[in-house]
Amino acid sequence: MNLEKVVFGFFVLLAATLNFGFFIGDIANPALHNVYELFAAVVVSLIATVLKFGDRTQIGAVHLATSLVADLQLIAATIVWTYAAHISADGLTPAAMASVVSLSGGALFANVVSVVLLVVETVSFHRR
Amino acid sequence: MGNPLLVFWSRMFGGDEVPSRRLRRRIPRASAVQATATIFLILRRMRAPLIVLITIFAISVLGLTLVPGETPSGQPWRMSIFDAFYFMSYTASTIGFGELPQAFTAAQRLWVTVSIYLTVIGWAYAIGSLLALVQDRAFRQALALHHFTRKVSRLREPFLLVAGYGRTGELLGEAFDALGKRFVVLDADEDRIAALDLAAYHADVPGLVADARDPGHLGVAGIGNPNCVSVLAITNDDEANLAVTMAAALLRPDLSVISRTASPAIAERMRAFGTPSVVNPFDRFGDHLRIALRAPASYQLMTWLESGPGAELPPRGRPPKAGRWVLCGYGRLGRELIHDLRGEGLDVAVVDPVADPAEDGGPIIQGNGFEPAVLQRAGVVDAAGFVAGTDNDTSNLSCIAAARRLNPRLFVAARQNRASSAPLFAAMDVDSLLVPAEVVAHEVFAQLSTPLLWRFLQEVPARGDRWAARLLDCITQRCGPRLEALWKVRLTPAEAPALVGWLAGGEARLGDLLRDPDDRDVQLPAVVLMVMRDGECVLTPDDDFVLAPDDELLFCGRPEAHRALDTTMVVDAAREYVVTGRRVPASWIWRRLAGEV
Repeated sequence: MNLEKVVFGFFVLLAATLNFGFFIGDIANPALHNVYELFAAVVVSLIATVLKFGDRTQIGAVHLATSLVADLQLIAATIVWTYAAHISADGLTPAAMASVVSLSGGALFANVVSVVLLVVETVSFHRR
Repeated sequence: MGNPLLVFWSRMFGGDEVPSRRLRRRIPRASAVQATATIFLILRRMRAPLIVLITIFAISVLGLTLVPGETPSGQPWRMSIFDAFYFMSYTASTIGFGELPQAFTAAQRLWVTVSIYLTVIGWAYAIGSLLALVQDRAFRQALALHHFTRKVSRLREPFLLVAGYGRTGELLGEAFDALGKRFVVLDADEDRIAALDLAAYHADVPGLVADARDPGHLGVAGIGNPNCVSVLAITNDDEANLAVTMAAALLRPDLSVISRTASPAIAERMRAFGTPSVVNPFDRFGDHLRIALRAPASYQLMTWLESGPGAELPPRGRPPKAGRWVLCGYGRLGRELIHDLRGEGLDVAVVDPVADPAEDGGPIIQGNGFEPAVLQRAGVVDAAGFVAGTDNDTSNLSCIAAARRLNPRLFVAARQNRASSAPLFAAMDVDSLLVPAEVVAHEVFAQLSTPLLWRFLQEVPARGDRWAARLLDCITQRCGPRLEALWKVRLTPAEAPALVGWLAGGEARLGDLLRDPDDRDVQLPAVVLMVMRDGECVLTPDDDFVLAPDDELLFCGRPEAHRALDTTMVVDAAREYVVTGRRVPASWIWRRLAGEV
């Protein structure tokens, strides 16, 4: 067992699960989307990105690309949330919440690709 | 091949008819891969600091949102994630705006104290790691290699690959840069590559600290680049030069290779690979000395033309044609010189501290050349010439001083090993000075700058002294005592469209071409050194020489003459004027009006 692979798999999967947990539920209802979960998703996604630095294989490069996409989407979601909750006069309207959740949905897609890559990598690894 | 028997025969035994295997091989670029590997390694090393930083930030921000606070009115209040992130950002980076958006409670202050220490450690660790990486030797080398590779692959004009940037490389670099030719440098010594940055070249010269013996480094330096026109192996290590010559001949057989060596054995091994042109400075000096003895003016002409644009006309030496020679130092130079001097029918006495009687050098006088007793035994008193040819400048200088005290009328030839000794040898006023680095540089320059010049120089010794003296007078009269540019013209329809009809007429006198297109009675300040036609060359053709299409001309002259000649070759009206003296309109409409078209 390779500890590095365990940590790597853990963070990739955790990023996807947290993202999914935030995303699930009625898209416009703020009560169903916990902002702490979004925060955790961002942090774990950033850590997963850093873990993917310095891998020279083709699959490593695609891993890094998916992670960067997820980061971009999640950070965009937090910025929209911050604008709605702190700056906008209307507060956290259903429309604002919908765009936050849909941005995190995009990140979820990138995270799913990441998990698929992880699975492909594992399956193509033959134990001799 | 209708006959089936013949077909059968050729199928069975016609093995030589396979299409030529001139496939371009993939040139290995191992060190480029190495460079990216280093960059990846360094990225991996930044993982730990970055993850520590992210984690510390996440914990501090999360904690700050969970710790209870209160508003000024005493209502319970908790910081939002955004406020906490904002607060932590300015606190962690030690900017510190104070407690925003409102004063903290004691519980909040407790958590902030903890997180301040945590984040400061995180930042210090991350920034420290980053700075250590930037200082890292491997990283800097990788970065330099990366820049070098990119610069070389972006070269879009013909360039030379110079392996070894010693004194020779420096001289050649200056000469080629003045000609506007690009080159790429490899040298194993870091100081030499640093010297490349300090040299004031017009063009950017990519340089890399690398061992040229490694074909991967040659690959990075562009040996596989189609714009690479030749490879110069001029390091001070014969083995390395041999390795570069071999690599170039095997990887790119179409490249011209010039390599330097001081050993005839290595020269033979180099010639086993393709057709490199091998320059042996000692051998060349021996040849030069022979020419100088036989024909001082020819020697003067050759050294002048080889020294590149801007060189002053060197003084004409008067070496003794007869008499004894005394040679100090029986090394590689000594052997070459004895051979050459004896070939001229001169008597040579050799002085060397470590005499080797087994060699065919005849009697060798044991002792150091700077001891008067030894020199007396060698017969310096009644000798005509003296060579100080050891590999130590100090002993060469003292040899000369000692010999001159015994016989002030000696013709002195000396070998200067180090560039820093140049002023001392200049003050000694030596009659003929061998600087190996300069000999190689001049030779390589002559071969590469204009191949016609090289051909010309090969022909000069056969022409005799008087011819050379006349040519020198002619050049200095027309162009002055400094060597002006040398250039080549090919009388093709592409290069000289205006001359096509005139040349085909069969009455194209060279003298007419050299008239000034502004005033045809004035002759251009240029001299035609040679005309090459179908591989045959005519040296210094006179004004009545009749030119033919596709002739190649080697000119020596002022830049204004070059421009004027270009005008004559391209503009029909200018050609008409210099040839016939008639002024004809140049533009199409005026020619139309004048009824010429």
